[in-house]
Amino acid sequence: MIRLWLAVWMSRLAGWASRLTGRGGSSLPGVVARRIDPRVLSRLTARLPQGAVLLTGTNGKTTTSALTAHLLRARGWRVIHNHAGANLILGLTAAMTQAARCRIYPRADVALLETDEATMSRASLETRPRAVLVTNFFRDQLDRYGELSTTVAFAARGIASLAEDGWLVLNADDPQVAQLGAGLRRVVYYGLAMPSPDGASDYQAVDAQFCPRCGQSLTYQRRFFAHLGWYECEPCGWRRPHPDLAVERWNRAAGEVEFDWRGHRLRLPWQLPGLYNLYNLAAAAAMALTMGMVPEQVEAALQNFRPAFGRMEPVRMDGATVWLALVKNPVGFNQVLQAVSEEPGFKVAVLLINDRYADGQDVSWLWDVDFEGWVGRTGIAAWWVGGIRARDMAVRLKYAGVAESAITIAEDPEKAFASARQAFPAATTYVLPTYTALLEIRRYLARRGHVRHFREG
Amino acid sequence: MLRFLHLYPEHMNLYGDRGNVLALAQRAKWRGIPVEIVHAGPGQAIEWSMVHLVFLGGGEDVHQARIANDFYSRRQDLTVALTEGLPMLAICGGFQLLGHYYRPQAGQDLPGIGFLDVTTEAGPSRAIGDVVSDTTLDLHPGTLVGFENHSGQTYLGSGVAPLGRVRWGHGNNGRDGTEGAVRQHVIGTYLHGSLLPKNPHLTDLLLSWALERAGEVVPLPPLDDQPEWMAHQVIVARQKQPAMSGVRLT
Repeated sequence: MIRLWLAVWMSRLAGWASRLTGRGGSSLPGVVARRIDPRVLSRLTARLPQGAVLLTGTNGKTTTSALTAHLLRARGWRVIHNHAGANLILGLTAAMTQAARCRIYPRADVALLETDEATMSRASLETRPRAVLVTNFFRDQLDRYGELSTTVAFAARGIASLAEDGWLVLNADDPQVAQLGAGLRRVVYYGLAMPSPDGASDYQAVDAQFCPRCGQSLTYQRRFFAHLGWYECEPCGWRRPHPDLAVERWNRAAGEVEFDWRGHRLRLPWQLPGLYNLYNLAAAAAMALTMGMVPEQVEAALQNFRPAFGRMEPVRMDGATVWLALVKNPVGFNQVLQAVSEEPGFKVAVLLINDRYADGQDVSWLWDVDFEGWVGRTGIAAWWVGGIRARDMAVRLKYAGVAESAITIAEDPEKAFASARQAFPAATTYVLPTYTALLEIRRYLARRGHVRHFREG
Repeated sequence: MLRFLHLYPEHMNLYGDRGNVLALAQRAKWRGIPVEIVHAGPGQAIEWSMVHLVFLGGGEDVHQARIANDFYSRRQDLTVALTEGLPMLAICGGFQLLGHYYRPQAGQDLPGIGFLDVTTEAGPSRAIGDVVSDTTLDLHPGTLVGFENHSGQTYLGSGVAPLGRVRWGHGNNGRDGTEGAVRQHVIGTYLHGSLLPKNPHLTDLLLSWALERAGEVVPLPPLDDQPEWMAHQVIVARQKQPAMSGVRLT
């Protein structure tokens, strides 16, 4: 008990100290807590009445956990929530030690923890989660983990430590994710039940089109994007599980989505662009409904949802709209380009590509983004490229057929952004940064007073 | 007209290797040479005499294992075509399958077609990071840049030349300083990046070989490659900053 007390207080002290010295996002609080009491995360989550919920997957973790937290709070639960990017074991630990100001055990109902795939096994072992949500598996940051199959294995190991009465919430449309629920009873699936969208070019980057059971090629009846869709393996008979929650209709112009939840019809207000955000919404709603919320509560709670910073959030600047959307892998980038193409107006883009560790040090993935298919459809009149690998981005656009006269290179992200705003002050500006470039742009916007809130989660 | 064959694009498509095909096609089109890109997967018939260049990328171990036997079954016809001067670029896993075999950490050896006198065995760690090499090909400038990410360690036999010698990075095996291999018009390498967009001199060499194969004696007029060389230079310049490690073993 003394050990836990010390761990929590020293961790908070470390947190205050690093904030005072202006080093937000330090891993120190987590390091200190775990050094003093290696079981600190277990002990703190064990006391929560609703325990821990882990969210993992390649894309959509941050938006999905922000949405889920929003929904669970609307039902009256007190939710502990880690910040985006702080999703390794140290970040999860710090979120728990810093959740209360004075007491040791936070007065909360549930800890909703966005968890990096590689951390799943350890986080799950320590927190014994009541529910695990897996969004999707796409190729991402292969310089870190090598191959996609490694990532899937990480998540599978995490699921093995699910609490006995725990639930698994899975994307039915992703074969590798759906496969994780095979043979398990307490599984909730979500998926889309809309017609396939018009694709871009047919040379899209596709990750998994092979049956995770037998390795043969999957056939698709409908395909939403990348390998997400209604699939079936003809040789072995395995197919997409029937979803408990299905997105049946999306009216982008009216900002409305219709779900079917086990025979109940839900009609939800929804303003975010892009099919990928629709998956995030379905995932969060499926999780909230699994945790006992009723459909009417979910409908009411979504009336006032605000997205996480940098995940397609509109910022008003001098009378024009600036959208910020993090890009980190080919599927996500394609989805953002599709979302841009669906929005009206005069548009310019600012692509900011860094290659620090948190961004992924290998920029090869830019060649898997379907720029050939999208540049003509996005309606973007001029492109700015910035970041450490601005030159690679410029070459990528050139080979996708963008005229060199339409590309401006300014390596400093702030300068690239400022130059675009200055050239076309009335245009809708889409800023698409990698992770550390997003942080640079956020600091810049904060200095200029354009960011209302610092919520990152 | 040039016809490029992208082999196993669905299985061997890791790390943006399709960028190499995009670069070859664009640089031909910018010079007014029409291009057709054809794909072939396992079991599909290939008329090698109709092909002017072959591209094979890298893939995950499981995917590489799924196509290895199909590729091996094509060894006779393919070896004849390569010996006759068919150009081929193979990256990472594709490079390994051009050698004698690939021995994974666990499980059976994957047979290669043995056109390149190299052998590969899975090593204990992955070589990941930027690479700058001095190529043995007659290219100006003499550097190739890319990004490596492989656990396989490849050793060259006496019947093959290295594509380059690493200035910066791990290369074929981290020991002998070689990177890639070349025989006739066949190039194997570990460089992703994508490789060709940032190395336009190598792209044009492959194009000239493809034209030769097609029997078209067309000179390749120079293009404005300033953006490409700027991207090339970003990596070359890193070598001069010793604080940044080019190789990280994880």
